[in-house]
Amino acid sequence: MKTTGLRSVIAFAIIVVLGLAAFSAVTAGFAAVTSDGVRRVQLERNPRVLPDLPLIDARGTMFSLRDYGGASNRVTFITLVYLQCQSVCRTSIAGQSWMQHAIQARGLKDRVRLLTLSFDPANDSPQVMAEHARRMGVDADLWRFATVPDTGDLNRMLALFDIIVLPDGLGGYSHNAGLFLIDEFGQLARAYDVDRPDLALADYLARAKGKGE
Amino acid sequence: MRLLFPEKTALQKWVRHWALPGLLCATLALFQPRLEQSMVLHMGVEIPLLFILGWLTANAGGPVLVKKLAPWNMAGVPGLTFAILVISLWMVPAALDYAVLSAPVAIAKVASLLTAGMAAGLSWKPAGFIVQAFFTMNAFWMTFVVGLLYREAPQQLCSVYLEDEQARAGAAIMAWAILALLLWAPGVLRKLRD
Repeated sequence: MKTTGLRSVIAFAIIVVLGLAAFSAVTAGFAAVTSDGVRRVQLERNPRVLPDLPLIDARGTMFSLRDYGGASNRVTFITLVYLQCQSVCRTSIAGQSWMQHAIQARGLKDRVRLLTLSFDPANDSPQVMAEHARRMGVDADLWRFATVPDTGDLNRMLALFDIIVLPDGLGGYSHNAGLFLIDEFGQLARAYDVDRPDLALADYLARAKGKGE
Repeated sequence: MRLLFPEKTALQKWVRHWALPGLLCATLALFQPRLEQSMVLHMGVEIPLLFILGWLTANAGGPVLVKKLAPWNMAGVPGLTFAILVISLWMVPAALDYAVLSAPVAIAKVASLLTAGMAAGLSWKPAGFIVQAFFTMNAFWMTFVVGLLYREAPQQLCSVYLEDEQARAGAAIMAWAILALLLWAPGVLRKLRD
């Protein structure tokens, strides 16, 4: 009976430790319960370096995502969308549109810029992106639309931002979204809710102030 | 009363048949891709059935397994703790995402849920009424509240599932919590009657 008690206590302790370890593993150390939350915490702890990912913008200019990866006094807010999307991308783009106004109104043009990446290169050609930007009243010095010219690079781009895209069976996609920050060091360092661009901008301004700007 | 609390019935014999868990498992495996396409089917069908499957396996294994486990499983507490931890783990939305996106995690999910069901099945009788009540009520409230949170969550919980499925997945989780409580209730009433 005595050994049964002792063994059971040991078994119980092992089970509790394993349970806590498993919970900790999936929640980034009890910091988040959703994948988006986990990604946010992971980015804050370990900012990501931007890879050499070829892109083409609405003007047809080729560039690399790494061009954004160097130290700069301008930070960049990025969202990923496809332009035919009728749901969450609209929120993402509306958020960036709000940001454009805020940046212009507060005179932050030399400090903050925007980049919208499409993960639907088959439909979102430079012409389509340019047309979309025109309708959105995009200030081209401030806000750039781009996509991967080579569909083979698509998964690399999505993996960098942890975006999961699933065809919804109706010709569209369902996907998670995010508003990402490339910081002054050119690292992918933060992720925010797409429907709270105000918090994202406020967070950037507060941290910039904290650094003594 | 007889009708409410039947003794050993044909159904019980059938439920304890050794071939049932294997058959169910094969059926589940067959439908696995379809089940994981939807959040409702994944959370509301696949995960609960895996757990139940484990429990049926324990039943089929019978007293032999209970005896083997007994020295490490006083009053069923370690076994039931394991079961409740595993169930709660797979209700974390991030865990569900990992299970869909990563094969090793998917295997861990199936293995842990089957083992959890077995552990619960093997621990149920040794646990006795009070320990059973403790774990059942805790599991009920936890599951019920998680279901509520899924129903009401304003943000997308899982990367791999659509936001509009969350309400139905939450309702399914709550339904399982209530069903488990209802299945447990006759035993409680019988206990109180005796």
